[in-house]
Amino acid sequence: MLARVSRTVARRANVTRTLCGSRRSFVQPSGADRASVVDVPSTYQEENHFAPSPDMLGFKLEAPQRDSSATEQVRPIYLDLQATTPVDPRVLDAMLPYFTDQYGNPHSRTHAYGWEAEKAVEVARKNVADIIGADTKDIVFTSGATETNNMAIKGVARFHKEKKRHVITTQTEHKCVLDSCRKLSEEGFDITYLPVQKNGVIDLAELEAAIRPDTSLISIMAVNNETGVIQPLKEIGAIARKHRGVYFHTDAAQAVGKIPLDVNEMNIDLMSISGHKLYGPKGVGAAYVRRRPRVRLEPILSGGGQERGLRSGTLPTALVVGLGEAARIAQKEMARDHARIKLLSDRLIQGINAEVEQVVRNGDENGYPGCVNLSFSYVEGESLLMALKEIALSSGSACTSASLEPSYVLRALGAAEDMAHSSLRFGIGRFTTEAEIDFVVKRIVATVHRLREMSPLWEMVQEGIDINSINWSQH
Amino acid sequence: MSSVAAPSKQAIKSLYHNMLRSSQSFSSYNFREYFERRTKETFRAMQNETDPNKLRDMYSDALKESTSLRRGAIVNQLYGGWKVAVEVPEKPEEILERGNN
Repeated sequence: MLARVSRTVARRANVTRTLCGSRRSFVQPSGADRASVVDVPSTYQEENHFAPSPDMLGFKLEAPQRDSSATEQVRPIYLDLQATTPVDPRVLDAMLPYFTDQYGNPHSRTHAYGWEAEKAVEVARKNVADIIGADTKDIVFTSGATETNNMAIKGVARFHKEKKRHVITTQTEHKCVLDSCRKLSEEGFDITYLPVQKNGVIDLAELEAAIRPDTSLISIMAVNNETGVIQPLKEIGAIARKHRGVYFHTDAAQAVGKIPLDVNEMNIDLMSISGHKLYGPKGVGAAYVRRRPRVRLEPILSGGGQERGLRSGTLPTALVVGLGEAARIAQKEMARDHARIKLLSDRLIQGINAEVEQVVRNGDENGYPGCVNLSFSYVEGESLLMALKEIALSSGSACTSASLEPSYVLRALGAAEDMAHSSLRFGIGRFTTEAEIDFVVKRIVATVHRLREMSPLWEMVQEGIDINSINWSQH
Repeated sequence: MSSVAAPSKQAIKSLYHNMLRSSQSFSSYNFREYFERRTKETFRAMQNETDPNKLRDMYSDALKESTSLRRGAIVNQLYGGWKVAVEVPEKPEEILERGNN
């Protein structure tokens, strides 16, 4: 019978002794359903994978020791679901056969290993196509949304570089899109970075005005990873359709599986999909490249011509199968998950607003509920994060968290510099529970109050002094 | 294993108990809570379902999921299991007795 594993040493020793003592007769190998797994093999415990070596200069490597009692290490609550999501156990279960016995190369045409791997890849392709309403042959597997964004933007722009030299994007795009556009501008293309309104949504009239006869590509992300703002894809697609030769690319990494997407309804020509935002594995993604009417692009990787010649290289079967399974599960659970995440998100926002004043929500109120970006006035963001050690949160996006600059997305939304510095991004997902949300609300309220008590600016505001009118003297 | 006729009440009940037991054996807090809640929701919906065709489909879906859930629980026990902050009971404030300071 399955029992939850207790990690005390004594219990383990007992079980090992019992197993060695029993006499085995002629038995058939039992499947996983007959296994009563209460322990790992004894050899597993002795191996210390992180034995310190003499040239480590005395640094102690803190590898999480699995055999030591689990009560010592307490893991923080994970609320950073825009950075990455945990792999759903059902997805992991679908992937493992392709890491153990079915390890064939899907491009091998001459034996059963190759055929079964290819079959699995095609099933995964169908699952990914279904979640976005596309045709199976339109999906190209890549190593992630960053590669797909590079492929789409650079590929389309370079293919049409003779006649078309203009690309349109927004100021709130992901770093890989902005960097690809910067590279293109070094090659001589014109790039228009559209501003966004106060709530993060682009102005459709401005977009229409920015389109020139030599525009080849519009790239606008579906759901922003920092603020959760949902762009009006259907309207943008309609505008792109009106102008011949303008392709519409959308970075839907945060949107796939969370909001309903249909590439035909929304007139999308290229789409980026990321595996690890979808409760799938990291290191895999997909590109949707429309075939009718055909979107032509120059591939980045040259090689054996796999994936319609657009992305050469052996497909990582296990990862691709994981992406397909994650997409299938997301399709099934989308309505259920969305309702639940909306509930939890409302609970979080109302819980914080009830106890703390002067909290600003960055981004549209009608954005994706699973991404809540809040700015706390007169509280410094870094100190807030440091005080919340038991909660895994992020301020701004993971890509830019290393630098000291405030997030460019919040700056594009018109947030003041100090508000941009004190922003926290809460990510809520499929596996978040009410207990976690209540814990977080309690912690945040206590911490914000404590930090505000210590802040002289807050004192001044309480007394009614207008901070902006103060003439700070130079020393 | 799902027959052409509608699944019997006994079969549904035993499948429910098996899946619930698998869900409760996950070591990771988030997965355990999620699968417990999901199993209960799914089988409550099955209880209120009157159309026998839909009931048969729901039962066969659940059957396929139950084996994958059991394997997932085993893998999670091998690799997961640290407590998450919300599971650890909060230490009450130290009560100072007279003579403690």
